[in-house]
Amino acid sequence: MSSSPIPYAEQPEWADVVPLPQYESIDPLAPILYTNEYKDATDYLRGIVKVGEKSQRVLKLTEHVIRLNPAHYSAWQYRCETLLAIKAPLDVELKLMDEIAIKHMKTYQVWHHRRLLMTHLLRSTETDKGLQTSSRSPAQIATSELTLIARTLAEDSKNYHTWSYRQWLLAFFSDDSLWERELDFVDSMLNLDVRNNSAWHHRFFVVFQNGVREGEEDRDRILRRELIYVKQNISLAPNNASAWNYVRGILDFNKLPYSTLAPFVQPYTVSHPDTLDDLVDLENPPPSRGAQLPCPAAIEFLADVYEREGGDSVLKATELWKTLGNEHDTIRKRYWEFRVKEGLRTIQAQS
Amino acid sequence: MAIPTPVDSYPSPTSKSQSETEEILLTHLPTDSGPSTSQLQKNSHLQFVARNLIQGFPVRYISQDASQPWLLFWTLQSLSMLQVVLDPNNRQRAIDTLLAFQHPEGGFGGGPGQMPHLLPTYAAVCALAIVGKPGEKGGWDAIDRQKMYDFFKSLKQPDGSFTVSRNGEVDVRGIYCLLSVATLLNIITPELVEGTPEFLASCQTYEGGFASASFPYFVPEPSHSAPTLLSSPRPPLGEAHGGYTFCAVASWVLLKPFIEHSPSKPLINTRLLTRWLVQMQGVPIELGGFKGRTNKLVDGCYAWWVGGCFALLRGLDEEAAYHKDDHEVSTNANEKDEDWVDDEEIEIDDVWNPTALQEYLLYAGQHPAGGLRDKPPKPADAYHTVYCLAGLSTAQHRMNPDRTRRKVLEALWDEKSENQTWWMKEVYTRSMSWSEAIGKKRTVLGGEGNRVNATHPIFNLTTTHTEGIMTHFYQQPTPPKRQ
Repeated sequence: MSSSPIPYAEQPEWADVVPLPQYESIDPLAPILYTNEYKDATDYLRGIVKVGEKSQRVLKLTEHVIRLNPAHYSAWQYRCETLLAIKAPLDVELKLMDEIAIKHMKTYQVWHHRRLLMTHLLRSTETDKGLQTSSRSPAQIATSELTLIARTLAEDSKNYHTWSYRQWLLAFFSDDSLWERELDFVDSMLNLDVRNNSAWHHRFFVVFQNGVREGEEDRDRILRRELIYVKQNISLAPNNASAWNYVRGILDFNKLPYSTLAPFVQPYTVSHPDTLDDLVDLENPPPSRGAQLPCPAAIEFLADVYEREGGDSVLKATELWKTLGNEHDTIRKRYWEFRVKEGLRTIQAQS
Repeated sequence: MAIPTPVDSYPSPTSKSQSETEEILLTHLPTDSGPSTSQLQKNSHLQFVARNLIQGFPVRYISQDASQPWLLFWTLQSLSMLQVVLDPNNRQRAIDTLLAFQHPEGGFGGGPGQMPHLLPTYAAVCALAIVGKPGEKGGWDAIDRQKMYDFFKSLKQPDGSFTVSRNGEVDVRGIYCLLSVATLLNIITPELVEGTPEFLASCQTYEGGFASASFPYFVPEPSHSAPTLLSSPRPPLGEAHGGYTFCAVASWVLLKPFIEHSPSKPLINTRLLTRWLVQMQGVPIELGGFKGRTNKLVDGCYAWWVGGCFALLRGLDEEAAYHKDDHEVSTNANEKDEDWVDDEEIEIDDVWNPTALQEYLLYAGQHPAGGLRDKPPKPADAYHTVYCLAGLSTAQHRMNPDRTRRKVLEALWDEKSENQTWWMKEVYTRSMSWSEAIGKKRTVLGGEGNRVNATHPIFNLTTTHTEGIMTHFYQQPTPPKRQ
């Protein structure tokens, strides 16, 4: 802090407001030791909220509180209600909030505030009454949001709120021109970090969970594309739980048997796979030279293939689970024992 | 012994921070020559907690100014697990402070004069369960339950979810807080929770854990009538996450009586959930701590948010266990078996490694100056202290929905209490029946001196505090003590 701000009591434009202290008649247990500036600003905010004033200066006061404590949800809520009540230009608000969003990206409120602004901006462009709130089209607004989100994710690539805001935005605007660039975005994020689970989840969200968009009607082609994509990423770095969860996810979602991937998975389950290096098989890319094998996730996958085959194959599954519990994944020994028990029970039930 | 997580000669930002963390954690493994670190430093943790309580929270806690009920709940619940009771004077101060957070329009805010919000409402009510009592100045009867209910109703959304406050965000934390409070205070109704199970189910991701929320798609209606909610797609917003998963699963357990009575009977995928939960436990080089998402780092607080879910899995299967007769259980255990697996049945809450989790919490979770933490070298804080202790508790005590206990509670049920409904008895007896499993004790790492109190798998209150507040609001007689 360079200099402490002038207290509200000494500012003439606030002379008519009665500040409201937090605790009047009690001696609170476990109080927070506030700074004078914070105490001053929040005393005035309580005073304003009590009389219900909605005015330009409320925007200044709430901004002050928010900058001191971005998790102050009541300040955000009151600010939003004030913006709407005095019909403040929401584009201006959005711009002001860009800086706060990047600075405080880990708080819920910065992103939720943007959602509310988006909702009101879209509503006003739809009813044509919104000329004073924004001169931009919905797609333009959303595109600049996507850019801001990308900037935030460049600093914190797994920020939960930012990713879920991006997903909300895409679904909310539901504009084909926005959706069609998303796969490139995911790709760029995964190129930076193939283990970024947020990016894998985003890919699933984009490809499978928001209906079928134009140009993507051929679902078999989409599925083949995704399988090749995830297999190539597994081949680069086999011990990547995110990629294995993705491949399981797309098989489950499309109700495809795990056995379709058995030929691909098999080389990853052994210490020294005898794959032929000179044979380029796009469908079944082999483990990279630097891969650390066997890969427990591959063993688990193969065991699932055997379990689903039923009959005697279940015994092969139980053998794999035992190697996981005893050797490759000992922390989860009880879980693998549980799977063995379950497997044996199905064999017993069949016989 | 402790093998580094494989990088496959293909490093990325994730694998780099993972390796750095593993290097630090390795230095916290106990050595043969070094001092014993497997003691829970109860005294220094108590001092850490008591200092915050009496002297107040230092200035950096301004960021928690909108979470004041949480600061009290975290502190008081830490004391409860450490088996410490507050003196009468501070107890009354706690009650008075908590009541100052209640909003005139119902619910509690993050501080006096702040708007009512579901999260501080949970924290305030649970803190009152710990320090409050019936009668004048006791706090419990000063909770305005009618206004609380109206506040809850005002937050309800067409997709079965709730916003956390007026015009606030929707997420499963808020739903967990609402359902916990509505259950403890006996204000839950089928109308309040209609559609909520369907919303929760839509938050389960392809990984098996749960996300913060889902997006509701609507079919617009041509006329002025309301748009129709589509049953699908309702895609999850955000990836599977430990905190949201706990909230969603605990909510599901609380909603079971209503789900079983509903015509649509929505489902969640328990198999996939179980797989995701066990995958969140770190490997030996991570000392068996839990992470909150795939490919993220271990963090002490997930000891509770993820570790605590295993007990809840028993709650998902509660009805099956309740109606299964004892004879059937014993014949099932008689299978012909391999020598490396013993004959006993493996229950669904026993598929993880509670001893390894205790290692993480004791070796890495404790700050040398008192209090518990995310991971070394981070400082301790109030939040991590309570959730590391709760995680330790769930690793030491095996809590189950107890059939025998439930039958005792049903036999004691007083039909004459006011405004009886079909669900009241069910909600009450289910929540009250959670008990420590008899005969299947877990290992208490570091010896009996490390034992902390058991905590309720849904509410994170001791069973004593849960029983106290629930018998009061359901107007039921105090049940007999457990063995």
